[in-house]
Amino acid sequence: MNQVLEWLQFVLAPQMINGLSIGVAVVLMALGLTIIFGLLDVINMAHGEFYAIGAYVAVAILGLGLSFWWALLLTPVLMAALGYVTERGLIQRVFHSKDRHTLTLLLTFGVAVVLEDVLKIIFGANPLRIESPIPGGTEMLGLFFPNYRLFVMGMGGLVIVAVWLLVFRTSLGAMVRAAAFDRYMSASLGVPVSRVYAGTFAFGVALAGVAGVLLAPIYSVFPTMGRDFVLIAFSVVIIGGMGSIKGAVLAGLLLTQIQSISSLFISPVWNDPLLFGIMVLVLMWRPQGLFGKLGHA
Amino acid sequence: MPDPHISSPRGPSALRVFTYLFFFGALCFALLAKWMGDVFFLRLATEALIFGGLALSVDLLLGRVGLLPLGQALFFGLGAYVSALVLKEWSASFWLSMGITLCVCAIAGLIGGVIAIRAKGVYFALISFGLAQVISKIVFNTRELGASDGIIGVPAVAVVPGVDSGDPLGFFLVTLVIILGLYVGLRYLMETPMGRQLSAIRVNEHRVPFLGFDPWRFKLMAFVGAACIAGVSGALYPMLRGFVSPELMFFQVSGNAVINVIVGGTGTLIGPLYGSVLLTGLRSVVGSFTAHHQIVIGLLFVMVVILFPRGLVGYLAPLLQNRLNLPTRNRGEL
Repeated sequence: MNQVLEWLQFVLAPQMINGLSIGVAVVLMALGLTIIFGLLDVINMAHGEFYAIGAYVAVAILGLGLSFWWALLLTPVLMAALGYVTERGLIQRVFHSKDRHTLTLLLTFGVAVVLEDVLKIIFGANPLRIESPIPGGTEMLGLFFPNYRLFVMGMGGLVIVAVWLLVFRTSLGAMVRAAAFDRYMSASLGVPVSRVYAGTFAFGVALAGVAGVLLAPIYSVFPTMGRDFVLIAFSVVIIGGMGSIKGAVLAGLLLTQIQSISSLFISPVWNDPLLFGIMVLVLMWRPQGLFGKLGHA
Repeated sequence: MPDPHISSPRGPSALRVFTYLFFFGALCFALLAKWMGDVFFLRLATEALIFGGLALSVDLLLGRVGLLPLGQALFFGLGAYVSALVLKEWSASFWLSMGITLCVCAIAGLIGGVIAIRAKGVYFALISFGLAQVISKIVFNTRELGASDGIIGVPAVAVVPGVDSGDPLGFFLVTLVIILGLYVGLRYLMETPMGRQLSAIRVNEHRVPFLGFDPWRFKLMAFVGAACIAGVSGALYPMLRGFVSPELMFFQVSGNAVINVIVGGTGTLIGPLYGSVLLTGLRSVVGSFTAHHQIVIGLLFVMVVILFPRGLVGYLAPLLQNRLNLPTRNRGEL
């Protein structure tokens, strides 16, 4: 009995807490993806690259001699600007064609190819490291937790709550939901639809950027860092339901918990197949994902 | 997707002209290379044709059924691994390895299809992406398959007596014949009732059941067919290069195949072959100047998607068709 308790306290609990800190970042990524899809019907294949750019922007800001907190503050702003320009300059151009699903997916895929090489040219292909801004750890319940991971959890949780409030409790969010539900009707009611589109895309990109900054001190920063991470985010979005905010949060936390607990028993190599298996099972049971689309629920 | 049925039933077809031009051009190139005693460009052209086969399979799904596969490299890599294993471990027979590859890829296509076809539209794209990502990770971590190094030292094989896969010119011609066979077979299949069904599914999937057909079955058949085409093309790869690596299954390969299709012309079937040859050439040329050739390809791709979504052949074929139709139209007026 004692052994079981000890196992729960010293093996399972830390693993779950670690999973939670990554889970929060995954949710941020998935939120960006799902909001962009829910409103614009665009699968943003460049989302992983935007995540990587977020981390690199933080590296660059630190390189200027500013502190990590400035990086955390400035990165979303810069990323939002990048997202706005991308939407206005590129996505808008193919948005009104008949098969925009495929074209926008291909377009963002092309953007991803270009961005990855741009990162390689500017920063080189080698991994860079960021010093943890809050070193040390805290003891709780006889366990030792790295301070920074606790901070990531708190910060990520705050951002998620803020996104929720923004979308469901403000007039700006109401505009976004209205545009997602029926863009012609909302346009005739005075919603500046094309600006809402660009703004939403920018917002989603900024969320990816925040995830990049938050995880930069935990993992190292390299040009293809987004590729594996975005696969988790895509699975989360598919399981939670494309365009569903609730789905992204719940599925994100659930999947990362499954991942971190299962890695106690099986080799981490099997993490992705496990994730994928869950995704396929969910799709067989509910092809539209667990929850409905933005503006429809 | 742009309508691929640009060819008119009467008179010369522009797509046919493009087809003749492609294979005739390939033969001229082979003669020229033979005369110049070149090896490098023959090898490169063979590789372009092999990746052209992969692009062909992507076009079958994207251009003909309206499914965007983002993980077609899975079957390409599977074909390459199976063929490499058969050649190295069992018997250095071209036909045996081709036959086994075909069987394995058909089975894998059936399994993958049952999983992926359930999903529609963007979900299909993401599922196929995930499927390839997962399998490539497993291969990457399996020591029995050489893990990240892949399988090296695949022996050269005799295709027919006198033609060896180690002979650049001979193997180029073998690859050309196989790709031509795949292309002609696919073209023929598109004219059969099954091909018509696929077109119907692409245009409006919801109406197909009302005609008394099950779209799922036809989609699955197309998926298995695409898996086989990709697998056969992949099987040629280790014969050309003498090795296989997990990179063959990575997203880069799937993505490049999609780029080849879009740049060449979606749904035209010959366009992807042009796209593959053009872009493989471009990669090689730009790659000799800088390591960052992806940026050039990526920019070109973005420009094509925005400005010429029909791709090279899709853009040129109607122009040529008008030119070809001119005499008949004049005659009609007289």
